[in-house]
Amino acid sequence: MSPFLHWLDRFSDFASLPAAWGIFVAGAVIYLISEWRIRFLALLVQYVFVGVLFAGIFDTRPEMALLKIIVGWLISGALLLSAQIRWRTVRAPGRLVSWATNLPFRVLVLLTATAIGWLASQRFSLPYVSAELGLACLLLVVLALLFFGTEEEDPTIIGVGVLNLLSALEIFYTAQDPGLLVSGLLVVVSLLVGLATSYLTVAEVPS
Amino acid sequence: MNLPGPLFVVGSLLAIAAGLLILRRFTLIVAWVSAIAAGAIAVFVTMAPLDQTVDFGPISVTLGAPLSIFGRVAVIEPVDLLPLTLIALIASVLFLVAWRLLPRSSFFATGLAILALLSGALMVQQVVYAALLVEIAALLAIFPLAEPIVDEQGNRYSGGARGGLQYMVYTTLALPGLMITQLLLEQFAIFPNDLGLLQTATILLAFSFALLLGAVPFQSWLSAVATDGSPPMVTFLFAVNLGAVWFLLLAYLQTYSWLSAQAAFGQLFTLVGLIMMVAGGTLAASQNRLGRIVGYATLVDNGAMLVALGSRHVTGLSLSIMMLVARPLSLGLMALGLDGLRRLGKGDDRVVTLAGAAWQVPWRTLAFVVGGISMAGFPLSLGFAARWGLYRLLAEDNLFQAVLALLSSAGVMMGLVNTMRLLVTPSRSSADGHLPDEGSPVGRRGTREDPVVLAMILALLVGTILLGLFPQLVSGIVSQMTEEFTFFSQ
Repeated sequence: MSPFLHWLDRFSDFASLPAAWGIFVAGAVIYLISEWRIRFLALLVQYVFVGVLFAGIFDTRPEMALLKIIVGWLISGALLLSAQIRWRTVRAPGRLVSWATNLPFRVLVLLTATAIGWLASQRFSLPYVSAELGLACLLLVVLALLFFGTEEEDPTIIGVGVLNLLSALEIFYTAQDPGLLVSGLLVVVSLLVGLATSYLTVAEVPS
Repeated sequence: MNLPGPLFVVGSLLAIAAGLLILRRFTLIVAWVSAIAAGAIAVFVTMAPLDQTVDFGPISVTLGAPLSIFGRVAVIEPVDLLPLTLIALIASVLFLVAWRLLPRSSFFATGLAILALLSGALMVQQVVYAALLVEIAALLAIFPLAEPIVDEQGNRYSGGARGGLQYMVYTTLALPGLMITQLLLEQFAIFPNDLGLLQTATILLAFSFALLLGAVPFQSWLSAVATDGSPPMVTFLFAVNLGAVWFLLLAYLQTYSWLSAQAAFGQLFTLVGLIMMVAGGTLAASQNRLGRIVGYATLVDNGAMLVALGSRHVTGLSLSIMMLVARPLSLGLMALGLDGLRRLGKGDDRVVTLAGAAWQVPWRTLAFVVGGISMAGFPLSLGFAARWGLYRLLAEDNLFQAVLALLSSAGVMMGLVNTMRLLVTPSRSSADGHLPDEGSPVGRRGTREDPVVLAMILALLVGTILLGLFPQLVSGIVSQMTEEFTFFSQ
């Protein structure tokens, strides 16, 4: 193993737990703040943390982790563009930070879901993956379910939920089978989800 | 150059699809090329022998030769031939049906690509890759599903985000279960005494297929898709995509024979199927939107197929395949009818809005109603032959279940009768001369229906009634398909 790969492996081992919680905090920002510029930044950050976790999974092929980050950023860019088009037509420009509606309810749901996710990771550890990766998977699934459950009218957020679910699946599955074909197909699926979400976001915007 | 069959089938369809995407403005060309391509694949798969090489000029193809990518194998086996032929034929007919209904649509190119991916899913050996290909096909379907139809006057019909979103969410939720099942089965091969692995794999597989088939309580995507999508695309989704999912389920049952050997298999399938039928029938009976009736009729049909499989009997398997064969005819007719009625209502398919529409678009109304009767499994239709066989099969063991299944089908019929009652009742607006716009492809009172659409309606009507009168015309093909699946011993 080259010194760089060795250093990267140690870094990803050290950073796995913070990265798992980082993913969740970024998701929480997307859930609680409805301004799309902020959500876009949070999504970018979330994909960096996902990349950190992947650096641990693909310990001899760091380029795969980099690929995940780049694909995530590409998707984020597409979502930002379509979200801007949608927001221009449905809402007047507002403050930089506008909280999502039903904020107290969302905070409560988020805290409850976090507690459930954390307790689940403590009690029922996911097979085949380390505790940190298991926690990250559970937190991503929790976020995805929150997005599906409370944002059913917003295609962009539903799309982010689907992407979170896919990230959880990628982390869990590729930790077992880090084959190129599965990884490549999962990247294609993620890109298509990004494209489909962008399309659906602007589908109902009057021309 | 010698190509293996999977590469030729998937590659040629994808290559043509890419070309058609560029030419999408030329609807006539695109529709016919896609129909011919899908039809040609169906003919090739049916006619070409698996073990011999067929020459196409500089290219030769061996249909049964395996394709290996990174050590993963895709191969066309005898069991795949009829399912591949069936989905390709359905797609081919639907491309023709959509020719006059979806001008300048991406449906044709995307449909061919979806057909290629679903064919790949049927050929590939590992569960995980089949699941990923089905997921990619589902994601591609979202684009034409949410695409509005724009007519000559610039009016936009159909097309909405909700159906596509729900379809995306539910198919993606099904993906982890299918992929993790593969991991568990690999683990089971190493630790054959760990029966917990099998149990978990069964639960995950059942959950994933329940999502993909819209089983209760995951049925909402069926009605959302049927409400938002253009009728030909919805028909494609319910006949081709769901058809492929059904064949994948049968392939899993064939590969992992312990699944159907489990004691709870029959009870579980029958229970889930009956719940789907009852829920679908009840919801269809109370619907006031035509699109939703299509969605709930499909839910009842899916439920009936599960009940037929739950019988753990070869006859049940034959009946479920016959329902799958009957579905495209019924849905195709409903699609043609629904398209015309939606255009008349300027995108609104509520029956209150369309009161009296039967006098303005009689052929479209007839198509919708006859297609609906066939989906409900009432005479004279191929659907009736299959459903009647199901009731008889159920009645042998449990009369209550048979009555429940019959009543559920009657629920769809009630929804249709209620719709029909309103469609033939002249409303004030129609009495005042509320007519479709000039140049609309929908026929108006005193004017003629688009002759091509009329010909398609007549062809499907004749086909539905003919096969209803003489179901033995397809029963040979159904028996042939059934023989390939040997997981039921009796």
